[in-house]
Amino acid sequence: MPESTYWNPRHETMPRDQIEALQTRKLKNLVAWTQASVPWHAARFSKAGVSADSIGGLKDLQRIPMMTRDEWMQAQLQSPPYGPLLAAPEEKAVRYHLTSGTTGRIPLQVLDGMKDWEWIAEMWCYGFWGFGVRPSDIVFFAFSYGTFVGFWGAHYACEKIGCLVLPGGNMTTEARVKQIMNMKATVVCSTPTYALRMAQEAKTMGVDLAAGPVKRLILSGEPAGSIPATKRLIEEEWGARAADTAGMTEVGTIMIFECSKQPGGTHIIEDHYIEEVVNPDTGEPVPYGEMGERLITSFGRGFIPVLRYRTRDLVVRVPASHCSCGRTFDLYEGGIRGRVDDMKLVRGTNVYPRAVEAIVREFKEIDEFRIRLYTADGRQDEIEVLVEIPGGDGAQTERILKNLSTSLSEAHEGLRFGVKKAEDGSLPRFELKAKRLQDDRIVIGTAGERRST
Amino acid sequence: MRNAMGVELTAGEQALVECYQTLVRTLRERDDLPPFARRNGLKAVAALWQVVNGLDLDPGQLYDIGA
Repeated sequence: MPESTYWNPRHETMPRDQIEALQTRKLKNLVAWTQASVPWHAARFSKAGVSADSIGGLKDLQRIPMMTRDEWMQAQLQSPPYGPLLAAPEEKAVRYHLTSGTTGRIPLQVLDGMKDWEWIAEMWCYGFWGFGVRPSDIVFFAFSYGTFVGFWGAHYACEKIGCLVLPGGNMTTEARVKQIMNMKATVVCSTPTYALRMAQEAKTMGVDLAAGPVKRLILSGEPAGSIPATKRLIEEEWGARAADTAGMTEVGTIMIFECSKQPGGTHIIEDHYIEEVVNPDTGEPVPYGEMGERLITSFGRGFIPVLRYRTRDLVVRVPASHCSCGRTFDLYEGGIRGRVDDMKLVRGTNVYPRAVEAIVREFKEIDEFRIRLYTADGRQDEIEVLVEIPGGDGAQTERILKNLSTSLSEAHEGLRFGVKKAEDGSLPRFELKAKRLQDDRIVIGTAGERRST
Repeated sequence: MRNAMGVELTAGEQALVECYQTLVRTLRERDDLPPFARRNGLKAVAALWQVVNGLDLDPGQLYDIGA
């Protein structure tokens, strides 16, 4: 039997009506399990008139109440540490993780049973196998191996596939580059930002990554893996192909991956999730091709059932036919486009950090950057972009600053961007999720009261 | 043997399903297993659950036996 290019060929090539039949059956099972084992959910179902028996098709999904992060957080606060959301006794868990956390918010804490933890690796297998990773590969993980779930599942997925796994935790960037070269790693896993950081370090060390052994990069943790300019830069620096993936601690693993055809989007693992795209303001479904917020229902982790969870991720869903790989799983064109709450309003213009990054990355001379919002003279919002341009002479640097400023302005309804050169090495580097936006704006008319958003 | 979608499973797939079913039954019913046998059995069940789930046989949850 020839080797399949799909991890689960039967599911990944199923006609749409069969995918929906499979999802309906799994949804029914999930509602039954959740209703029987999590009174917190059962009460919400009951209020909405939902029961397993009442699920007759995917249209019934919309009768299930949406769940927000705030509700999850409040539930944890009321009944720490996990809230009344566990479907099994704590002592049955074998794994604990928590969300990477955002300033001012409480991390979500999650547990997994033994088969849940295996399932988490299973989801990563769809992505790795789909991008062409095979048992003969040597996979390096530039990952800190802490309580953030990150690439944990990916590590075990590669063991499952049969690869030689190099766990690169607790290492300097220099040591990581050395090990990748010395061990002849063929696959590297990291955030997009850190892939660029390693490339930068390699240059400093005099290492030619593009001539090295790495053939594939698996990116995760930031939307940048699907920003064409960022991805192109990463691929050029490494001389390798890069695939985007995205996951979340709330489900423990990835839910979307880019296949080897690199269609400019990520396939949804539709036999394990139902993904909906809705208007973030009204909650109403949006059609193919329109941007909206993704909602996730997971058939995986049984320990903490997740149904219609509002992710705050912005996506554009398109039919599977947008990719030539033969999968019938739909795609998110451009991966995760940003966060509902990422958008900043600057003098009436919407600014998305991802859109700024896409433009900055068109300038290959720029190593690192930072976006800063501030209030000038206590009266007016301003936006500036600080960039590091190592080795550039005065005239070249001036030209880059001017061109970048023009490009940013043209893409933002003429909004003025102050583009400035930062000292080499002065801007922060990130291993996990990059935080390149700093919002120092104050409430205009106050003596310096910071804005809450 | 057919799955929940009505698809006939191959002989190889059926063999793995039977292996899973035997393991689950053994772990549920037997209390004479030494720690190494029970815990390795559970690890194997957790892995085989992925097979049975991927073959559309609705394996349900396994927390009662510790997997």
